[in-house]
Amino acid sequence: MLEIRDLRKSYGKLTALAGVDLDVARGETVVIMGPSGCGKSTLIRCVNRLTEPDQGSIILGGQDVLALSSPELQKFRRRVGFVFQQFNLIARLTVLENVMFHLVLGGMEREEAAERALASLDKVGLRAAADRRPRELSGGQQQRVGIARALVTNPEIMLWDEPTASLDPILVGEVLEVMEELVKETGTTMVIVTHEVSFALRVAHRIVFMDQGRVVEEGPPQEVFAEPRSEIAKLYRKLLVN
Amino acid sequence: MLDFFRDGFYKDLVLLLVISIILGAAFSQGVAWAIDTYFGDTLDQMIGEYGEYDLILHIREEAKEAALRELQRIGEQSFPGYKLNETLTIAGQANVFFGLPPQFRTREVLESITSYFGAVPGLNGYTLMAEPSVLIRGVHPGVREELREEIEELKGVSFTVKDGNNLVVLTEKEDDLPQVTAGIEGILAQYQILELRFPMGFEVDTQEVGNKALEILRAQESSASRYANVTSAQYGEDLDAFLKTLVEMRDFLGSYASKVRISPSPGISLSVGERIVLEAVGEMQEELIIEVTGVFGDLAEGMIIQGSPVQSMDRVVQQGYRLLGEGEQGDYIGEVEIENERYRLAYAVDESLRLLAELEELAVQASSAVDNAEAVLTTFQEALMQLEVLQVQMRQLNEGIAKGDAKSSGEQFLVTLLLNGLFQTLAQGVIHTGEESLDSLQNLDIEEMRSSLDGISTQIANVQEIDVAAIMEQIGFVRDTLPDLSDAEIGQSIRLINTYLGGQVIPGERVQLLIQGEAPNEKALEKIFQTELENPYLHTYSTSAGMVSPDARGEIFRILKEVRSIVAGMLAIIFTMIVLALDHAAIFSTLKQLRAGKKARTKRWMRILDPLLLFGGVLGSGLLTSIYYLAKGQIPFFSPVVVAALGFVLGVVLVVFAERFSPVDSMELMAGQSLGLSNVQIMREVVIPPSRPGLLNLLNRFKQQF
Repeated sequence: MLEIRDLRKSYGKLTALAGVDLDVARGETVVIMGPSGCGKSTLIRCVNRLTEPDQGSIILGGQDVLALSSPELQKFRRRVGFVFQQFNLIARLTVLENVMFHLVLGGMEREEAAERALASLDKVGLRAAADRRPRELSGGQQQRVGIARALVTNPEIMLWDEPTASLDPILVGEVLEVMEELVKETGTTMVIVTHEVSFALRVAHRIVFMDQGRVVEEGPPQEVFAEPRSEIAKLYRKLLVN
Repeated sequence: MLDFFRDGFYKDLVLLLVISIILGAAFSQGVAWAIDTYFGDTLDQMIGEYGEYDLILHIREEAKEAALRELQRIGEQSFPGYKLNETLTIAGQANVFFGLPPQFRTREVLESITSYFGAVPGLNGYTLMAEPSVLIRGVHPGVREELREEIEELKGVSFTVKDGNNLVVLTEKEDDLPQVTAGIEGILAQYQILELRFPMGFEVDTQEVGNKALEILRAQESSASRYANVTSAQYGEDLDAFLKTLVEMRDFLGSYASKVRISPSPGISLSVGERIVLEAVGEMQEELIIEVTGVFGDLAEGMIIQGSPVQSMDRVVQQGYRLLGEGEQGDYIGEVEIENERYRLAYAVDESLRLLAELEELAVQASSAVDNAEAVLTTFQEALMQLEVLQVQMRQLNEGIAKGDAKSSGEQFLVTLLLNGLFQTLAQGVIHTGEESLDSLQNLDIEEMRSSLDGISTQIANVQEIDVAAIMEQIGFVRDTLPDLSDAEIGQSIRLINTYLGGQVIPGERVQLLIQGEAPNEKALEKIFQTELENPYLHTYSTSAGMVSPDARGEIFRILKEVRSIVAGMLAIIFTMIVLALDHAAIFSTLKQLRAGKKARTKRWMRILDPLLLFGGVLGSGLLTSIYYLAKGQIPFFSPVVVAALGFVLGVVLVVFAERFSPVDSMELMAGQSLGLSNVQIMREVVIPPSRPGLLNLLNRFKQQF
């Protein structure tokens, strides 16, 4: 489904990605873990070219992502769901509008878009909050709106960029719960960047550890946590044990 | 960066630019026009509409009422249908506008204003403002008539009016002004006045030198078609006359003031401008302060600048002391001798009056004395004649006695003897003494004496014929009209005149030559004239025979137009800044956000010249230049290059500070991108709606779906 080869990205002198290779199979849930600044977020942002990599290749569904023209990229992005750490909701729009507006802008009729948006909100348990503004919601609710927005297009792949990192520990649970349900129910290919070890253990088909812009270890959760080879994996295992 | 605009946002940007430029130009020009109209209307209210009035009569404020009555009378009598309007009174001078009916707007009337209005009470002068007209200032009298003829042949010219040194060219219509002005400028360009100026002190026969200068000019290779000596004594002589009068006045005051001579003591040196104080003596009310005006070896001259000297015919010598800065008396500097010339003059005038009064009386008395002398002389002459007769008779009697009378009786003999003895005694006495005296009396030249007396009488009569009373009256008048100034006042006046003269150049003689054709090279000619006329101090100046300048109203409207252009220009700049800050800042802020996630710039020119800054500069430059020139902005020193450069700088500044002017939520922007929105959709739905309210925001509302 997703093939990443020798992906490199630098911000000036700072190397964010130093040649990443990653394969994700259709329907697979891959959790990427690693310390802050190791390039996790840059990696998944490169996948839908929110960040332009300097070098390498990204093939998604047989399509060379980096070769896409601007209109092609826009179409491509509609096939990719992206959930942000900071929710990234449009503050001036209602919850329903946040979830449906890109459908309408993509050419869908308003009514149909609204129906789909409401259905999506149903999935995250926020249908009742459809007419509220994002600022009237809690962080967890806002993130669930973000998830609903990503899901509403029935994406081929979902990219999660530390979806719980900005939430209070109390609110983390409700988001992880929604995510877990989605993973189990939708069967969508997912690449999730998170520090939630137990969540990863529960939902991931594969865990990828990154350090200093490189993939240092990867494998099924039971394997990597049972016999971690890299220092990063060992540290996460310690977190799990504790 | 171009991708950002390609998917449709360029239309929005172009629309924004077009509307910004149109609105900016309309706004800038509109406000400037409103200001212009306001001031123009105010001006019209003050000085009437174009062509409504022909004259501004300047009248002393206190005579305004009487002047207005007189003007009404003149208007009704001489210019039926006239217009009169009293406007502003400035510095005690009322200004009254007078409009002539069309049939009276003729050269004859406009050149005879003084004869019509000269008797208006309090009239201080007038300004001709007949419109539509072109004013030619400083027309040389030597070419005035020639110019008039040529100008009056121009198409659209109605007639010309001489107004002092100016020539007012009245046109048939206001629309004719540009072409007539161009025509006049063309004519004036054909005439040059070359002036040869000689320094002060050089007496020049302007006719002779002028003719010689013409010969020199003709000998030069030039395309000029005509040369003429047009030296005019009247031309520009007013200031000279005034300055010369001032010099005379200063000299008069100098001689009228008390003479002060200072003899500094040995070892004391004085300098011009230094002040000396003399103690009050006699009837002097206060001490005298003297300013040293000249130092000549051991002597110095001064001028009293404070106090009055002793009223005396004699020289008064006093001791002088240096005046220190704080008004204190300093060291003794020497003797100061003062001659009160003013007192002497007044004294002499008084004595003259006294003398004349005595002379009149003396003449009367002398006339009477001559008359008496003549009477005495006549009596004397008669007495002398009688004496001569008596002498003859006595001689005859004596001769008779001496012969004796035989026929006489004894009584008769006795009487005769007695009488004979008496008469003989008498006769002999008379004859002897009388003959000598009579001889001497007869020797007196009575006629000569009478002639002398007649001469004296005639002279006395001549003296009496002199109108002594008239002389006395005039001397009295001179005495009364002598300036009643104290020495201090005279000193201050002289200083004031010197101060004024110090900043003035008193020109010497000059010769003015008319050159028709190509303008001469005055500096080259100057050297030739200096050599040929053997005067190295001679200078040449080339001037136009006249200068076209806008009329008074035209000048005000020209200034108003300039103000309008400046206001329009400034508003264009302000509008551009607002548009850039409110509208374009959001665009550049977005572009900068999007660029952050892009690949590092690989092209070298991109690393040196930031395309975004370049784009901002070009945008700002284009925007400002378009608005500025469409708004007809014109700020001094703002050439097209400067305007374009300013716009460029504004654009660059905008790019640098775009996020401060209009911050863009990067999270929302990224959400839009991740949801597959096109750039135009991102702008319309994500970036612009929450951006600062402006034209972009307003226009976006018509396209915004959410």
